[in-house]
Amino acid sequence: MRIDKAKILVVDDEMGMREGIKRLLEIENHQVDTAETGAQGISLGTAFEYDLYLLDLKIGDCDGTEVLRQIKARYPEAICVIVTAYASIDTAVETTRLGAYHYIAKPFSPEELYHLVGRALERRWYILEARRLREEQERRLMEVAHEKSRIRTIINTIDDGIVVVNQEKQIVLWNPRFVKLLEIDRKINVGDLVFDILPENLHEQFNQMFAGQTELKAIKQEVVIHAPAKLVIMVNTTPIINTSGEMLGVVSVLRDISELKQLDLLKSQFINMAAHELKAPLSAIKGYVELLIDRTLGETLESYKQQLDRSRERIDALVSLINDLLNISRMEAGTIRRDIEPIDLSNLLTHTVEFFHTDMDKRSLTLDSSIEPNLVMDADREEIQRVFTNLISNAIKYNKENGKITVNAQRDNGYIRVQIADTGIGLKPEEKEHLFEEFFRAKNPLTRNITGTGLGLTILKKIVDSYAGRIEVESEFESGSTFTVILPTNQIN
Amino acid sequence: MKHKILLVDDDVDLINLYQPILQNAGFEVEVAFNAEEGIQKFSQFKPEAMLVDLAMEHFDSGFVLCKKIKSLPEGKNIPVVIMTAAAHETGIRFSTQTEEEKNWIKADDYLDKPISARDLLQYVTEKLFKNR
Repeated sequence: MRIDKAKILVVDDEMGMREGIKRLLEIENHQVDTAETGAQGISLGTAFEYDLYLLDLKIGDCDGTEVLRQIKARYPEAICVIVTAYASIDTAVETTRLGAYHYIAKPFSPEELYHLVGRALERRWYILEARRLREEQERRLMEVAHEKSRIRTIINTIDDGIVVVNQEKQIVLWNPRFVKLLEIDRKINVGDLVFDILPENLHEQFNQMFAGQTELKAIKQEVVIHAPAKLVIMVNTTPIINTSGEMLGVVSVLRDISELKQLDLLKSQFINMAAHELKAPLSAIKGYVELLIDRTLGETLESYKQQLDRSRERIDALVSLINDLLNISRMEAGTIRRDIEPIDLSNLLTHTVEFFHTDMDKRSLTLDSSIEPNLVMDADREEIQRVFTNLISNAIKYNKENGKITVNAQRDNGYIRVQIADTGIGLKPEEKEHLFEEFFRAKNPLTRNITGTGLGLTILKKIVDSYAGRIEVESEFESGSTFTVILPTNQIN
Repeated sequence: MKHKILLVDDDVDLINLYQPILQNAGFEVEVAFNAEEGIQKFSQFKPEAMLVDLAMEHFDSGFVLCKKIKSLPEGKNIPVVIMTAAAHETGIRFSTQTEEEKNWIKADDYLDKPISARDLLQYVTEKLFKNR
């Protein structure tokens, strides 16, 4: 390999020689610059690195070796060929010590020149190639170093704990999250045995990995760490395998799934409670039905009136419960369809209160309502209706005979404040605390005959929350409760 | 003279079920919905036997009631039967096999809920009032 179109500098004070060489080299497609003095040669030759320098040793104004020295000082790898007369052959040989590549004696034939230039350019090619490779290698090293620090940064930033262990079961890499997650209080050094660092319940995974019991597949395991706080960690351990299939070590990723487990537990508890709530009325209905099948209480249907009435009540309660459950599930899944429109809350409340008139009369309850007109908010009518129907119905259900219900609604600082107060059985402080929890129902002799799913207030709170509203309760046991719903209005006062 | 039974359970449906079936079988039945009411009714009604739910307002209300009844001179010899679903709900087993166990639990027998009306009637007639 050699350079085909080289840039060549010819330094010679003899014009004939200078131009002759230039012409010959141009025939070979090279680009040739010339200099007729040593000073010019130095100036041109050090301003730019030519592929080849052809230097006359005897130049009028100075010694050719000086030109050579200067060029080599500037470009140590420059290829310089000395052009010389026979008389100064010894000097020419001498110049090779100064770094000249070769020399050619005058006079010379074009073939001789071509031959030497060809060889010199071949040499030049190797030098350039070596230089290119060297530079590339350097660039790669830079890249690798950069890449390494980048990967390090990424690993350190990941929110999962990571630990890499080699075949000797020594820790070779880890991130801060790993240390934090396992609350490792000692300093970890590269080369520490993994079993000295990890809590015992994590040893098994690594043992299996190294024993090859896993056929080199990943192991996933939930591990509970007790000290100092209880954490559930999902540990995912994978062998690191090279291209020839050998195991080089293992990498473990540790993720804190405590929160997910907690949610999972709550969900299970909810299902458990729901199942319980569904089972109780069904068992009751079954009992009543068996009574009837066995004709236990007599032959006429009248003998079973109480049980049949109660069965129907329980069936109605079951249907309500199932509807509530579906409602909650839809709310949680976010699949509930809403028709948001401006709602005149004043109107809605007035109508709701009227709707319950008969129920209030039945229990001889007096009503005191004060509803400010034109309370408007953007909402789904059915949902808002449900909130107030539920609260007023509760105020009736949990009231005492001859009690009182107060309904108040007014604007309050960009919000609508609705208060529904009763003079009923009230709540004990510990009952109040759990009031909005799923399936919570105040259980005492006073509430025995009051039916409900235990989900009403849970749903109601979810609705109010979804409108960025708030629901509060004030209550005193055996003297009454006041529910306050605060909803944002879309009307600026 | 009708035999008198006091039924204590906070589940309205069980009361609705057990009360008529026992009445229909010739017993005089009084009901209470919690332990406090139970002790009251015990003094007024003077039952010959009691069927008591374990978990009412508290999970151990039934035991508390048993203990109170058994500590009364007139309650000492009244058989009290605990009805509970605790065995399959919590895995806790009760035993009233030996005198010691009976004394410790302060109950004379226990029944595993759910108890069908038929089974209850059979238990009351064939076991509880067998020799009366």
